[in-house]
Amino acid sequence: MVELLSNNPPGIWHWLILSTILFSIGLYGVLIRKSAVGVLMSAELMLNAAVLNFVVFNHFVKPFTIDGELMGIFIIAVAAAEAVVAMAIFVAIFKHKKSIDITHIETMKG
Amino acid sequence: MWNEAAGTFVFYLIAFFSIFTALTVVYTRRILRAAIALACVLVCSAGFYVMLDFEFLAGVQVMVYVGGIVVLMLFAIMLTSSAELIVDRPSFQRRFVGVLISIGFFFVTTTAFWATDFPVAESTKDTLFTKVSIEGEKAEPLDDVVELGKKLLDYGPEGYVLPFEIISLLLLSVMIGGIIIARKPPQLENKE
Amino acid sequence: MNEGFILSNAWLIPAIPLISFFLVGMFIRPASKQAAGLVATSAVFLSAACAYMLAWEYYQAFAPEYQSIVPWSIEWLRYQEFLSVSVGVLVDPTSILLMVVVTTVSSLVHLYSIGYMHGEEGYGRYFTYLNLFTFSMLGLVVAPNIMQMFVCWELVGASSFLLIGYYYDKPSAVSASKKAFIVTRFADLGFLLGILILGYFGYHVYGVLSDSSTSVLAEMNQYSSTAIQPFDFKFLNHPAVIAQFADQGSLLGGISMLTLAMVLIFAGAAGKSAMFPLHIWLPDAMEGPTPVSALIHAATMVVAGVYLVARLFPVYAASGSALLIVAYIGAFTCLFAAVIGCTQDDIKRVLAFSTLSQLGYMMLSLGVATMAHPLGYTASLFHLFTHAFFKALLFLGAGSVIHAVHSNEIWDMGGLKRKMPVTHITFLIATIAIAGIPPFAGFFSKDEILAAALGNHHQIIFGIGLLVAGLTPFYMFRIYFVTFWGPHRTEGAEHAHESPPVMLLPLAILAVLAVIAGFVPMASFVHIGEPLGHHGINWAIAIPAILVALTGIGVAWFLYAGNQDRVSKLVQNLGVVYRVIKDKFYIDEVYLFITHNFIFKYISRPIAWFDRNVVDGSMNLTGWATRMSGWILSHMQTGQVQTYAAWYALSTIVVFGLLAVTLQ
Repeated sequence: MVELLSNNPPGIWHWLILSTILFSIGLYGVLIRKSAVGVLMSAELMLNAAVLNFVVFNHFVKPFTIDGELMGIFIIAVAAAEAVVAMAIFVAIFKHKKSIDITHIETMKG
Repeated sequence: MWNEAAGTFVFYLIAFFSIFTALTVVYTRRILRAAIALACVLVCSAGFYVMLDFEFLAGVQVMVYVGGIVVLMLFAIMLTSSAELIVDRPSFQRRFVGVLISIGFFFVTTTAFWATDFPVAESTKDTLFTKVSIEGEKAEPLDDVVELGKKLLDYGPEGYVLPFEIISLLLLSVMIGGIIIARKPPQLENKE
Repeated sequence: MNEGFILSNAWLIPAIPLISFFLVGMFIRPASKQAAGLVATSAVFLSAACAYMLAWEYYQAFAPEYQSIVPWSIEWLRYQEFLSVSVGVLVDPTSILLMVVVTTVSSLVHLYSIGYMHGEEGYGRYFTYLNLFTFSMLGLVVAPNIMQMFVCWELVGASSFLLIGYYYDKPSAVSASKKAFIVTRFADLGFLLGILILGYFGYHVYGVLSDSSTSVLAEMNQYSSTAIQPFDFKFLNHPAVIAQFADQGSLLGGISMLTLAMVLIFAGAAGKSAMFPLHIWLPDAMEGPTPVSALIHAATMVVAGVYLVARLFPVYAASGSALLIVAYIGAFTCLFAAVIGCTQDDIKRVLAFSTLSQLGYMMLSLGVATMAHPLGYTASLFHLFTHAFFKALLFLGAGSVIHAVHSNEIWDMGGLKRKMPVTHITFLIATIAIAGIPPFAGFFSKDEILAAALGNHHQIIFGIGLLVAGLTPFYMFRIYFVTFWGPHRTEGAEHAHESPPVMLLPLAILAVLAVIAGFVPMASFVHIGEPLGHHGINWAIAIPAILVALTGIGVAWFLYAGNQDRVSKLVQNLGVVYRVIKDKFYIDEVYLFITHNFIFKYISRPIAWFDRNVVDGSMNLTGWATRMSGWILSHMQTGQVQTYAAWYALSTIVVFGLLAVTLQ
């Protein structure tokens, strides 16, 4: 068991598939969630998977540099900004409609 | 050997846990529970970053994401609490479409990765936890934070000073925008 | 070559009425009615002055061999290197003759209208239309190519439509204008087809000539400001081109393409000149104001057909059978209209039928001419020239009478001899002129026509001509006696009084012209082909003609000058024959029967059905399909962000899937 584990350390494949799984789960959440906060959380999952991808590539393809890490930091900053604005919008919508069920928000309907 | 085995074991452990909690985020009917699960996923990701030797990023992740965003979400949930928010029950049709699309996406992405031959650097193959320099050079731990500070303020071709400034402007505008959007709508004063 | 000012700027002649048309129609008419009439009239007078100067300069510069010249033209449409259409001015004796006639009659009619239309609703509109008509007619006359002629031809039709329907609140005027437009338009279909056939072969011949004998083209290019083109009359009428035409293929039954083209073009000419089967619009067109009838339906527009045949005369002459058709249709119309004219009671209708008859004279005269014996050509244009003046005079005189009596019926008039002396005298002069009594104008031209018919051994046509020479005085003196002699038959005739001087002045001028026009030595001005020798009066033909005319006058005097018992007895004796003639041989009814029972039933209805169901249906189907697809697509626009996200993700998957498939 130990042998098996030590001989098969996680390579780039394992990481990539992990991040893809996380991203797909996030996508699923974005598509099905009815509450706006739930959608936002799923979007955060996707962002997180993206950061993980950057970091993985940085580690495996260009070691001893920190460009992927920098990207991660930027993504986290943007995600934070996005979350702030989204939350503010949710609060505003809630004041207006007493609900943040996004299936009820359809003013863009054609 | 034990070292490597433990590393691999921890990877799988955290990976499965994070997948499980991620599924909880999208599956649970209670939105509060989802927020807590999201916090768990983010903490697990911080663990991944540590495994990949990006301790500073892990710190940022915990502080900003878990400490900031998730808490902000909890606030939002509290502020907009209602019955629908607490229970989120998507219809079967939605879930079916969602599953189809996300599985399709997973396959497409995996195929794309499969078809690509990544130029993986040799030296990183089996040195997950120790930084070893390439071919004979002495192992020299990389100082993340110093390097980051230099890069962020470097305005040469390799530098990131422009995105850094833009991010700071973005954060400022987001702050102001958030306040303006979420504040109470100003009452029209009745001036005679 | 020392060209005069007008000769090099001949475009002024049609351009002045056009400019005046725009000015009057857009600026002056809303401002002042009186000014509109004055400006329009003076513009046409100016144009007439230019036409006289042009005639003078041309005959000075080009005597005695009258070249046809194109002093001004610009390229208008260019299809390819050897196929373009220009707009220009063609000056040759024939077009000068027409210019003079058109501007003279038009300016006098304008002058007369100032008095006649005084106080009418739409006075300014009337003068706008008159100017437009004058421009179109002049544009037609000066056209150097068949395309410009066709364009102006249609313009003439359109402005005639506007003028006939001038009293648009009167249903009969509206239907008359529609009838005129539709009948002539129908005929123009033949004209257009003829142009296309002729143009096709013209282009072909042009190619042959530019390859083989460039000297011919160079000769044609002389006196032209733009290079000769296949649609130009100068090109089509050139002997070398006609020789090539004759070699073109023939259809089934041995009809050559040339004959087919020329017959089709004659169909257009017959429509405009109201030749027999297409004559039905002209009598109805008298619904318009009387000066319009004088201008359009006597002197100018209706001669457009004659002018067209004269323009293309060398081509017609090359196709003998087409020319023969022209001759016989002209002769038949001549007789047919004269017979109907004897029975009509509306003064303007009688004049209309007399116009038809005289146009028949012109056509038959063209038809009997050949390139070797071209007397008929000259005679036809001579008759056009004299007829324009006395027929305009007749119409204007009739207008003066109608103006005074307020009725068109000759039986409502009577005894106007003393009430309206000037009108009476001028009308009498015109009547004698049309009757063909020397020395008035009609005698000379009619004599020349008869001489041409006999000279080229067309005995039947000569006989018809002689018969009509007797019928014409009969019906003309019939209306003269009924209108001006005898007792006052109605209140209106009782209280009639002479027209204002502005109306009498044109009458007087035209009366002078009707007397002296016959002395113009037309044969030395306008001729074609072989030069005509000195041609005096052929007394062997003239004396019988005069005798026949005098007989006609005598019969008219016998029947109508005294009491009316003789007429009613004669009418009773004639019975059915009289009815048939009075009802114009039921041609209108035949047309109605054919249109209602065949054209509407078997052509119009299926086409209308096709249009409504298939054409409109396909349009509706397109619209419906567009709306349906829009409706379906609008369902994708649920307004829900997640649907859009789902589409986005799905599209990403599809695109990447396709990329994966294609890149492998």
